[in-house]
Amino acid sequence: MQRISGLLRAIAPPVPALLLCLLVARPSTADEPRQTSRKDQKPDAVDRFSVSGRSETYVQLYRRALVPGQNGQVVPTEIAVPVHEYLFANARDVDAPWQKDSIGLEFAAWGRYWPTESRIERAFDGDLQTASLRLEAGPTWARIGRQQVAGGAARYARFDGIMVGARELGFFLEGYGGFTVLPRWNDQPGYHHLGSAEDTLLVYQPAAPARGNYWLTGGRFGYQTSHVSGSLSFHDQEMSGGVDHRNLGLDVGAQPTREASLGASALLDLDSGRFADARFWLDATPHPLFDLGAEVLHAEPALLLSRQSVLSVFSTDGFDELGGTLTAKLLRWLRLDTNGYIESYRGTGPGARGELAARIALGRDYPTLLRVAYSRVIAPKNGYQALRISFSRKLSRCFSSTLEAYGYFYDQPIAGYTTSSVYAGTVSYQALDSLEFLWSASLAQSPYAASDAQTMLRASYHFDTPMRPRQR
Amino acid sequence: MNVRFSALLLWIAVALAALAACQSESTPTRFPHQLHLTRIACGAPGKPACLSCVSCHDVAKHDSGQRIPGAALCARCHHDDHQVRAVLAVAPVRPSGEIAIDHDKHLAMPEIRGQCVPCHAGVVDAKRPPLPPMSQCFGCHEHAEQWAQGQCTPCHEPEALRRTMPTTFLKHDTAFLRHHGSAMAERQQAQLCQSCHTQAQCQSCHDVTQDLTVEARRPEQIESGQVHRGDFMVRHAIEARSEPARCLTCHTVQTCDACHVARGVSANVANPANPHPPEWVGSNTSSSNFHGTVARRDIVSCAGCHEAGPATNCIRCHKVGAYGGNPHPRGWKSARGVDAEMCRYCHE
Repeated sequence: MQRISGLLRAIAPPVPALLLCLLVARPSTADEPRQTSRKDQKPDAVDRFSVSGRSETYVQLYRRALVPGQNGQVVPTEIAVPVHEYLFANARDVDAPWQKDSIGLEFAAWGRYWPTESRIERAFDGDLQTASLRLEAGPTWARIGRQQVAGGAARYARFDGIMVGARELGFFLEGYGGFTVLPRWNDQPGYHHLGSAEDTLLVYQPAAPARGNYWLTGGRFGYQTSHVSGSLSFHDQEMSGGVDHRNLGLDVGAQPTREASLGASALLDLDSGRFADARFWLDATPHPLFDLGAEVLHAEPALLLSRQSVLSVFSTDGFDELGGTLTAKLLRWLRLDTNGYIESYRGTGPGARGELAARIALGRDYPTLLRVAYSRVIAPKNGYQALRISFSRKLSRCFSSTLEAYGYFYDQPIAGYTTSSVYAGTVSYQALDSLEFLWSASLAQSPYAASDAQTMLRASYHFDTPMRPRQR
Repeated sequence: MNVRFSALLLWIAVALAALAACQSESTPTRFPHQLHLTRIACGAPGKPACLSCVSCHDVAKHDSGQRIPGAALCARCHHDDHQVRAVLAVAPVRPSGEIAIDHDKHLAMPEIRGQCVPCHAGVVDAKRPPLPPMSQCFGCHEHAEQWAQGQCTPCHEPEALRRTMPTTFLKHDTAFLRHHGSAMAERQQAQLCQSCHTQAQCQSCHDVTQDLTVEARRPEQIESGQVHRGDFMVRHAIEARSEPARCLTCHTVQTCDACHVARGVSANVANPANPHPPEWVGSNTSSSNFHGTVARRDIVSCAGCHEAGPATNCIRCHKVGAYGGNPHPRGWKSARGVDAEMCRYCHE
């Protein structure tokens, strides 16, 4: 009986996989040339709208040691098997009574189940990332719900509210406002601040933030043609205590020729009257085989901290960066990618970063890709050299695989060690057009861990209805 | 042992079954366009009529496809049905999806003069793409109005757009990644970028409050510009010092501190591990006391552990009247008065 039980335990896991293989196996003759299915499609004869959805399920397995041991301290370790679910859905170009193709919907959320014991994670957790409805009417549009504003003075912010816009004759105007979506980080069990604990035993445990104190508003006005575009934007983000960020942004771009484009951006912090960052860039293709990019950046990091941060008033130092990228498509199968940047920090020596990579791509229908990259980073106090080898191969119509190896060599020891290495691989199985499984695993050795092994199984399911014929 | 051996055999069987289900195919060959167009004896008495592109491809008005001919047309010359079907089964891969183009109108243009090859050079030159890149479309007529409106349709099908990576126009190379935020701000946010992208796609990288990082979720994307791949945990301090402002594109200092607290390396836990070297801070004159110089240069790294509102331990020494001195650097100014809540932490 014990032997049978052992056999069952051993063979049980593959059985579902075997059944799945049999279910999804398709005869090779099932694939007809695409033109037969599209032969009679006339784009102007049907109404276009799309509905798509995606589900991604992740199961991870790893062992972790959160708190580093010191002076012979025994490091507590724990096994983690978190299960994550990500859901996405959106609909576009849906007709409204007042206008065709004028309604869009988007939804994104994630959830997590943590089946093992943890002093940090809850058993169940999750968040709503996006849930918005977009409406258009003539040259105007509005989006309501949880959404984001990106670029310009806002940089990146999520909020629950409304954004409205209008466009006419190349000009566009946008405005938005709502309650900021708060980071969830301060809400972890057991997380609290202990400030100058040694002498005052002051404990700072912020109360649960009142959402009414966290709001944002802003707008953008711009002009756009096929050759030039630009916008002036304003973003005001408030938090408990006062101004979080209050910025003015300028973004301009131009494409004087088909082979070159250039642009510039600047972010002005209105509280201090100084530029938090400003950059200028130029991209060019002087020859079909070469792509060039050049960029100049100035940044003052303290101005990117919240205006409610005490530390934000401790510095006015900035740094400048100058660099560029070069891509050379030397052969049909060989491409070289290089980039290099030098940084100048106030009050200390210069820094630099760069990478030289060779990319070899072979095969068309079952492509093989090999990429070898060497990179170098020089920063204050430390730096590193890195070698990265990446390989991917489509094994068959259903199977693909990747392998990667990273080696890092640090200029100065970190926790007494000067190297770390990571080996990672994936195998993916496209069971159906809409269903894919991926298994990944990694093994690492670093100054923080003598050995680190992780594995993950991902199941992705998506459906799309790109264009559904309807009678107009 | 037998059990393990049986299990091993079963796993191998599963793997073989899955491979068999996929039915690996040999690499298909490209259709020999040049052979058909130039190397067939034609036109002479007793010979078939010479072929042109439209002999096989029925590029009807408003047609969005390449109109690959049916087997019946091939069978007029080729009597090997198996061969014909094998060739027709190799439909060209269209990573950009179908393009809605009025072929009749284009062929009638004086610049094109009824010639297909200027745009579809790949049919006679294997080194060139069979489909024209978008820059070639824009080379003749720039669709200025659609571009200004951020309209990619109806030339592109909406669904095809979401699978398409621009290779010439608006190409998303390394340089583009560095300033894509500004590229988005220059244009109507809701139009051009969101023709292809959803907000959820932006959040897959930018929303750091989601539990799994994009690197963990997409391990197979070995060519993407994900910044946290490899051993980022160890080198993150180097990266943060190298480009002090870059982390704040997505992260707030609370992001850093939450992780540091969980791992016992923040100032905001009891008995934290001190990462600073000797003489980092000192109240006597013999101490190097160089933390101020470093803080001036890289205050964001300081905030990664020491941002604690009114409990920030910098205040203990640097508040008005304390021995740490005025922390504001030369040239510093603020539009707020000292009665602002944050200012009152020190200016009580």
